[in-house]
Amino acid sequence: MGQAALVAAAEAPLLRVAGFVKRYGRRSAVKEVSLEVRRGEIYGLIGPDGAGKSSLMKAVAGVLSFDAGRLEVFGIQLDSEAAAERVKGRLGFMPQGLGLNLYPELSIEENIDFFARLRLVPAAELAQRKERLLAITRLARFRSRAMKHLSGGMKQKLALVCTLIHEPELIVLDEPTTGVDPVSRRDFWLILSEILHERGATALVSTAYMDEASRFHRLALMLDGRILAAGRPQDLRRRVPGVAVQLRAEHQAEALARLRSVFAQVQALGAWIHVFAQDRDATAAEREIRAALADIALHEMFSTEPELEDVFIASLRQQDPHAGAMSAAVQAPLAAMAAAADGNAIAARGLTRDFGEFRAVDRVSFNVSRGEIFGLLGANGAGKTTCIKMLTGILPPSAGEGSVGGIDMRHAGRAIKQRIGYVSQAFSLYTDLTVVENVRLFAGIYGLTRREAGERLAWTLDNGGLAGYENETAGSLPMGLRQRLALGCALVHRPQVLFLDEPTSGVDPVGRRQFWEILFRLSRIDGVAILVTTHYMSEAEHCDRLALMYAGGIVADAAPAELKRRVTEEAGSLLEISASPVLQALALLRSAGYPDAALFGEHIHLLARDPDTAGTQLRQMLAGAGIAVAHIGRRPLSMEDVFVHYVTLLERGGTLQ
Amino acid sequence: MKRPATDFPSLARIWLQQIAVLSLKEIRQLLRDRALFIYTVYIFTANIIIAAGGASNELRDSPVRVHDADRSVASRDLIYSFQPPRFRLAGEVDSAAEALRLLDRGEARMILDIPPDFAESLRRQRPAHVQALIDTSQANTGYLASSYAARIVARFSEAQVQRNIIRAGGDPRNLPTIRNEVRVWYNPDLNDKWFNTISELLTMVTVACILLPAAAMIREKERGTLEQLLVSPLTPLQIMLSKLLSMMLVMLCGTTVAIFGIMQPLYHVPFVGSVPLFFLLAALYAFTNAGLGLVAATFARNSAQVGLVVLLMVMPIVMLSGTWTPMESMPAWLRSLMYLSPLRHFIEVAYGILLRGAGIGLLWESVAAMAAIGIALFALGLARFRRQFA
Amino acid sequence: MNLARVLALAQREWREILRDRIYFLLAFLLPVMLMLVFGYGMSQDIENIAFAVVDEDHTPLSRDYAHHFIESRYFSFKGYLPDADAADRLLAQRKLRLVIVIGPRFAEQLRAGRAAQVQTLIDGTFATSTRTIQAYVEAINLAANTSVRSGYLARRLGLPPERVADLLHPVVLEVRYLYNQEVRSIWSVAPGLIMLILMLVPPLLMALSVVREKETGAIYNVYSSTITRAEFLVGKLLPSVTISCINAVILWLLATLYFGTPFKGSLAFFGVATLLYILCTTALGLLISLLVRTQQAAMIISLVMSIIVSIQFSGLITPVSALSGGNYAIAHAFPAMYYNEVVKGAFLKAIGFEALWPQLLVFALYALAVFMLCYLLFRKRTRT
Repeated sequence: MGQAALVAAAEAPLLRVAGFVKRYGRRSAVKEVSLEVRRGEIYGLIGPDGAGKSSLMKAVAGVLSFDAGRLEVFGIQLDSEAAAERVKGRLGFMPQGLGLNLYPELSIEENIDFFARLRLVPAAELAQRKERLLAITRLARFRSRAMKHLSGGMKQKLALVCTLIHEPELIVLDEPTTGVDPVSRRDFWLILSEILHERGATALVSTAYMDEASRFHRLALMLDGRILAAGRPQDLRRRVPGVAVQLRAEHQAEALARLRSVFAQVQALGAWIHVFAQDRDATAAEREIRAALADIALHEMFSTEPELEDVFIASLRQQDPHAGAMSAAVQAPLAAMAAAADGNAIAARGLTRDFGEFRAVDRVSFNVSRGEIFGLLGANGAGKTTCIKMLTGILPPSAGEGSVGGIDMRHAGRAIKQRIGYVSQAFSLYTDLTVVENVRLFAGIYGLTRREAGERLAWTLDNGGLAGYENETAGSLPMGLRQRLALGCALVHRPQVLFLDEPTSGVDPVGRRQFWEILFRLSRIDGVAILVTTHYMSEAEHCDRLALMYAGGIVADAAPAELKRRVTEEAGSLLEISASPVLQALALLRSAGYPDAALFGEHIHLLARDPDTAGTQLRQMLAGAGIAVAHIGRRPLSMEDVFVHYVTLLERGGTLQ
Repeated sequence: MKRPATDFPSLARIWLQQIAVLSLKEIRQLLRDRALFIYTVYIFTANIIIAAGGASNELRDSPVRVHDADRSVASRDLIYSFQPPRFRLAGEVDSAAEALRLLDRGEARMILDIPPDFAESLRRQRPAHVQALIDTSQANTGYLASSYAARIVARFSEAQVQRNIIRAGGDPRNLPTIRNEVRVWYNPDLNDKWFNTISELLTMVTVACILLPAAAMIREKERGTLEQLLVSPLTPLQIMLSKLLSMMLVMLCGTTVAIFGIMQPLYHVPFVGSVPLFFLLAALYAFTNAGLGLVAATFARNSAQVGLVVLLMVMPIVMLSGTWTPMESMPAWLRSLMYLSPLRHFIEVAYGILLRGAGIGLLWESVAAMAAIGIALFALGLARFRRQFA
Repeated sequence: MNLARVLALAQREWREILRDRIYFLLAFLLPVMLMLVFGYGMSQDIENIAFAVVDEDHTPLSRDYAHHFIESRYFSFKGYLPDADAADRLLAQRKLRLVIVIGPRFAEQLRAGRAAQVQTLIDGTFATSTRTIQAYVEAINLAANTSVRSGYLARRLGLPPERVADLLHPVVLEVRYLYNQEVRSIWSVAPGLIMLILMLVPPLLMALSVVREKETGAIYNVYSSTITRAEFLVGKLLPSVTISCINAVILWLLATLYFGTPFKGSLAFFGVATLLYILCTTALGLLISLLVRTQQAAMIISLVMSIIVSIQFSGLITPVSALSGGNYAIAHAFPAMYYNEVVKGAFLKAIGFEALWPQLLVFALYALAVFMLCYLLFRKRTRT
């Protein structure tokens, strides 16, 4: 932590929350939450949908009343509407939903002007601030474009500008990065840091992405209305001691089952297995793994620092030992690895789709074989959904062809549709029907007999952990259950090909793991070909193979590990630099041959070809500029790094291999 | 997975089963959509009751003010013939200016001005000129007021006419008279409640037939469930048919409640014709309109917009149906347009069966028109529905 | 009240309306369409009524009687029918609305100075128009009767025809139609429609515009800013009221130029009254928008309210004075009834401030009361 921040920390906190409770009717959304945010910091609230982040943030912004506890902003108790009014002048709030609070018919400039006028920003100051913010966000040349014609990243930046136009001391941003592509996200965090630093402002930011934790100075992990853990990201990681081990073994499914009998957190990541060995060091963990695997051949194994998600689940298990346990049904028999490749289950060949002038999908080609989990990774608007819609026959392609089981989907008949399962975006179930009604409906649609329907219903309830919720409406289920119900409905007719469009959005980490577990079994045991899209970079690792989509095209297509290997080959390994003042260090690095250096909270990430020599050079260079360097070390590449690498390459006009 | 069945009977069974489960789903969803469900219940119940008590051009207790310059027994007699239910004596006026003022403010709908020599003229067998100033700012009731006033005056004169004839040497018993006996068929008492409730029911049936399938379709579009259906082996025709069938059922239930639960017990609205025929043709009418609902759903992006599009469709259909203004009184260019209003044809059917006991023999033209319009609209709906995904 | 903020809000809203195609159509097309459709649909100038005659007498006198109807501009003669059965059939088929059946010894009875029987069969399906047709028939019959009687008496008593007329008409009712001399239905319908449409559209637009922001979350911009509650409400009302004022002008032009309704009163008075009425109805929409969460609910509630109030309880068709207790009270609880008096006064009666100032007062107080209620209900810090 820098010196300025240390001084600031000594002051009274800018925001103080104690015993905060918010109820909606009988449902408690936030249960006795306490936290403090200090001046100048970026404080993160991380958690899935329904964790209570939004309620807390709205209350802080003075737009939501609450039921118990204390809430103090700038030393003012927010206990009435009148009190809330007193802080609003010094506060900026950006509600959830990308750009939804903006006015689609107005241009960028008109949007900014409106927010400024609403906040009574004097014209002269407005002109000056507007130019600066437009310049920083690189929106200046689009100033007269209507908001509805902006990309997701641009909307996000515009929303940020609008929130900042009156120079608030505290800004409250509710999920500003959800669904935004990683390049824009990096941009966003940098802009936010710069502006906050320059103005000495403070930010309270929420996110659903665990891997964004390192962007914050301090953060709180929220689940189900409570704070599971809070503190600096590095402290949180240390809180549950242990090591993460990645390994590749023969008979993946059986290996998983054996490891589970020893370790609490074991999951399949594509061809790999990820183990979180709590309270063990690397040597002990690897030894125990070898012992557990016994006669199963081990191909590769290495240890890494645990992910925050591992910590999240471990924290959860400290409170409830059963949380995150995989159901017994998930454990698979050894013999089931029958996913023999029998040609391409799904094939896209030059798939292209135009909407008027706009090309949503541009010459996309890939193949998915039986038993394979194939991922389409990209931001909202990258063309993932359009791609799936063409492959499922909902949308005819403008050019190219998509086929399932060798049959062109444009002329897909009944027989082929009978073999497809589809979970559309946001699990489009009938939210007003109950669990049983939903399953029976889809059973009826797929022409199952009464007896078959009964069997599949029992299977869905059992497999999805939905027993006990039979007569709840789908809309009242927690996201995780809703997602498994959607999957159950899509699987009711035992399809051989499964399409999943962002199946894990808004689902908590435990639910996501259980979900991937089911997908894993489907692919390995039943040999189902699975095409899944996601905008969670970290989830991409679950896929056997994945394609990175950007602006309608595929920028890379390979197994996750292969992609990382290629990036390391092409651009080098990832270095993490802790330096202070960090923004100055970043500026220096960017001008000194590392234009892609990115800010992660108090750290800087960059790719260097020869990491050891580069480390020494950088240390000298930074020290020479009077910047204190605390630490330079290597870090494993993340999928986000891979994505950003390929997109920047593309944007600079480079060619892709 | 077992091989899918391919023989015709099992395909047909599955085809029908699919429509059945989808229709059941639609009904469940409507029952659970609070706003829409309350509205649906409302239009077939409370709304009919409100309509029954509402619009009527019947002249009732119309305030009459009198300027009686004669103040004789005869003038009193005439004045007191203006009695409820049509009229109500609201007092006297002293001057023409005051009379105008009262008319201006709506405190009188008619002013009777009786000249000073009224009784004298009667006695002398000279015509007595009584003036009636009638407020025709409401044209219809104004005209009826003048008609009823003329009738009252004629009845009042009858005795005087006889006296006059006797005095002129004639025999009043020997006076030719054309007795025009007016017989109003199908609604002999001109009960507005019959007309109002039936016309409101028909309007609401139209609203339901268009709005409900449209709302059901837009709900699927909004929530993304439609794609789920499109990926399944269902055909667009099945999806549309299931919405049509379920909403038809809802509409028929609503109509049953409205007719047998409200209109008959409360207002004694007759049901002269065949009940099965009426409901059969009501079902046909649902089909006639459903296409419009589905077209509306393809134009709109959310449930608010769909409501507005439906509003834009229903208003002309209702207003150009001939319920209020008889078709023959419309300008010629509009008359041909009116044939396109599905309600115009259903009005023939509904009033025909309910009030006149008409059978299919009398109604076949309207039935054919409904079927033709229905097929055209359904085809249009299906075409637009398919196209929006292309 | 900070005017800059109010204007910022109003101007943004205005721009959005102009650029959002659906909203624009709704704001400006809906009122015009309603005016045209209702104008034709509700005007009850009953003419061209299809009728036929069954003449069982076949005498010059019976034909004479039939001619009274044939020559009337209200009726459209479709021909003679052989018998009453044919009449029944054609009435049932709705080919005819009216059949005159002249009895077999019509001329003979009349010549003998007795009563002759005529039957008029009317299709009473549509009660409202039937009543008017009945009145037409009565008037024609009265005229025919008079001419038969005067001919008879003149012959019998050997008196000059004018003397006979005096004998038969001891009382002559001289009817003078005020405000609408030609008794044209559209003259009373068109001004009433201005009332109806301004009751229907402004609340709908207003309610949707607020609830739409609630649905998208843009309302949080307002909640989280320093704009005061009153400023927000005024800023929201302004554009909506402006649109409705423009619509009022368009509707006025349609009523006067297209439908040819005379405007006899003072434009200044009408303008002030209309503005105040629009304020009332828009404020009602604002009130609805504060009570509901979805656009669908906002639409249903505002439409149901507006349609019931403006058609049933405004005096548009049934005079308010003819309403019974409860309905009479409902009518007085909404501004539509008062505005109906205003449009009638301004268009047809040529009266203004001097007679209708109480209505203006009602509007002003009403708008203020609803606005205050909105102010009390609106929270920038909500519970949900």
